[in-house]
Amino acid sequence: MRYEAGATFEGNTLKTVSGTMREVVRKTLRYATSFLLIISLNFALPRLMPGDPVKNLIGEDVYVSEAVMEELRIEMGLNRPLYEQFTAYIGDLLRFNLGYSYHLHSPVAEVLRERIGWTLLFVGVSIFLGAALGTLLGAYAGWKPETKANRLICYGFIALSCTPPYFLALICLDIFAFELGLFPFKGFYDVPTPGSVMYHMFLPVTVMALFSASRNFLIMRGSVIQEKGQLYALYARAKGLYDISILFRHVIKNASLPIITLLALDFGFLFSGALFTEIVFSLNGMGTLIYDAIIGKDYPVLQGSFLVIALAVLLANMLADLLYAIADPRVRRPT
Amino acid sequence: MMQKEAYLQESTRRWKDSIAHYLNFDIWKYERTLKKLNREGLFLFAFFLVLALFPSLFAPYSPTERFISYESPSIAHLLGTNDIGNDILSELVYGTRISMMVGFASACISTLIGLMIGLCSGYFRGTLDELLMGFTDVVLTIPKIPLIIILGAFLHPSIWTLILVLGLLSWESIARVVRSKTLQIREAGYVKSARCMGFSSFHIMRSEIFPNLTHVLLPKFMLATASAMISEASLSFLGLGDISMKSWGIMLSFAFSRGGFIRDMGWWYIPPGVCITLCVMSIALIGFGFEERDKERGNRGVDAE
Repeated sequence: MRYEAGATFEGNTLKTVSGTMREVVRKTLRYATSFLLIISLNFALPRLMPGDPVKNLIGEDVYVSEAVMEELRIEMGLNRPLYEQFTAYIGDLLRFNLGYSYHLHSPVAEVLRERIGWTLLFVGVSIFLGAALGTLLGAYAGWKPETKANRLICYGFIALSCTPPYFLALICLDIFAFELGLFPFKGFYDVPTPGSVMYHMFLPVTVMALFSASRNFLIMRGSVIQEKGQLYALYARAKGLYDISILFRHVIKNASLPIITLLALDFGFLFSGALFTEIVFSLNGMGTLIYDAIIGKDYPVLQGSFLVIALAVLLANMLADLLYAIADPRVRRPT
Repeated sequence: MMQKEAYLQESTRRWKDSIAHYLNFDIWKYERTLKKLNREGLFLFAFFLVLALFPSLFAPYSPTERFISYESPSIAHLLGTNDIGNDILSELVYGTRISMMVGFASACISTLIGLMIGLCSGYFRGTLDELLMGFTDVVLTIPKIPLIIILGAFLHPSIWTLILVLGLLSWESIARVVRSKTLQIREAGYVKSARCMGFSSFHIMRSEIFPNLTHVLLPKFMLATASAMISEASLSFLGLGDISMKSWGIMLSFAFSRGGFIRDMGWWYIPPGVCITLCVMSIALIGFGFEERDKERGNRGVDAE
């Protein structure tokens, strides 16, 4: 059986390779364009926005004299033509020079490097937990959508997905940290040990995981409802498999494909949600950094954060594409 | 007891029949449609819509009238007062209009853009399709909220920039759905015959394809509204909203940054949050209802040939 399949496959090899190559080229082209667009947005925004570009590049609330401003203008090359500025900007990027924050008195790249690790840890853990929770519950809810419990869970998750994440965080903080005193309400740790970090992260991670799960849940539920009507599920049932093993051995594999796409597309959204959660829980990550930068009008930090977040999202999307190709053989084969 | 109920039911039925008869309006058919949508969602949505349209009927005071600040709930002020002494209930009622307006206006913009891009790329196909869909994919990978944060910080936002930015950045999923539906419809018999008769592409898109897209567009429009409202609330929380027009998000942000949270004034920060959740949920539920109905209809409107 397998050899036969191999033989027909042989015949199509040429077509397969060219089809795959075309897909790869197209994807690469798209990612390259996104990358370019993000970089040029970052370059163009401070120069196009209303107001003095020098002010836009160093931050608005910084007090500098006229003479210093002229000096900065020359130093940053703002009097030179745009294409020269652009090449200089690309050169700076290649050297990881993202500008200087006059508020924090340190280069932006350094500030970001300190903060992003924590945020990535926070986001990564919550997305992982959220995906697991949402997929499992969603699969079960889709398998038996009529039962009362599942309907209740469904409404619950719809409500969760309609709540702004920071409001959920506020409520949780109020109930569990202030009223019940179960959890600390500030910071990543008291002493930098894993135990303390876990204790401090529990509440924010729960909030983010629930939020992420709510989105996965709804997609997964719909997907399972669709998949369980397919013939292979019926066949598995006719063969005499238990309900649960039909779900977990056959249906869930196909039904979870949309989740991979969703995870990638949602990464940016969840990342932003995590920023708000960080602000509420006073975690010293990117969120609080951005919040302070908005209040202090610290534009270099804002720009640097945008660049880093956008690149992280881009990477996540590429990863998801790879994962998708591994998980779904249909993508590799031309139809 | 049973008799009474039966009598009530009978009388309502008769009443509805007579209305249907006199107004020449098929109320039964209308009701059946309503039932398929989510009734809870519609009810909630109607409630918020009335609040948004006639805030002065429900608000006990003007939202700018000032009383003693930081008051607890009492008969005079059902939800207390905030840091500058405004009545919170009145603020909440007046905030409905602003929050909903931001949501609907930006959803209108994004639906319009998504519709145009999706229609063109689905109908003309070929290179234009490749280009437009490539562009859509590119825009899809750019994280929206960080970008809006930067734009908001540079632009000192008014409510209009917020609407515009939210609308201009969230059309991708609509464009994709419209495109795939258009690809399906353009092969239908009536579109082919319209092309044979030599109608212009614009005319075909407008009067043959567009009417068949409305039932895909409506749920997407509702969901876009819901997500725009959440984005607005999030941005306002960061202090990037329009302070002169107090939406629910700005109320929450003020409650957080101006002492409502530290003083444990639950009546200040919980109501706007709950309102956001309920309103967004009602809109999303209606959207889901439309989607369900669409699934039941199947592929009607597209004759497979």
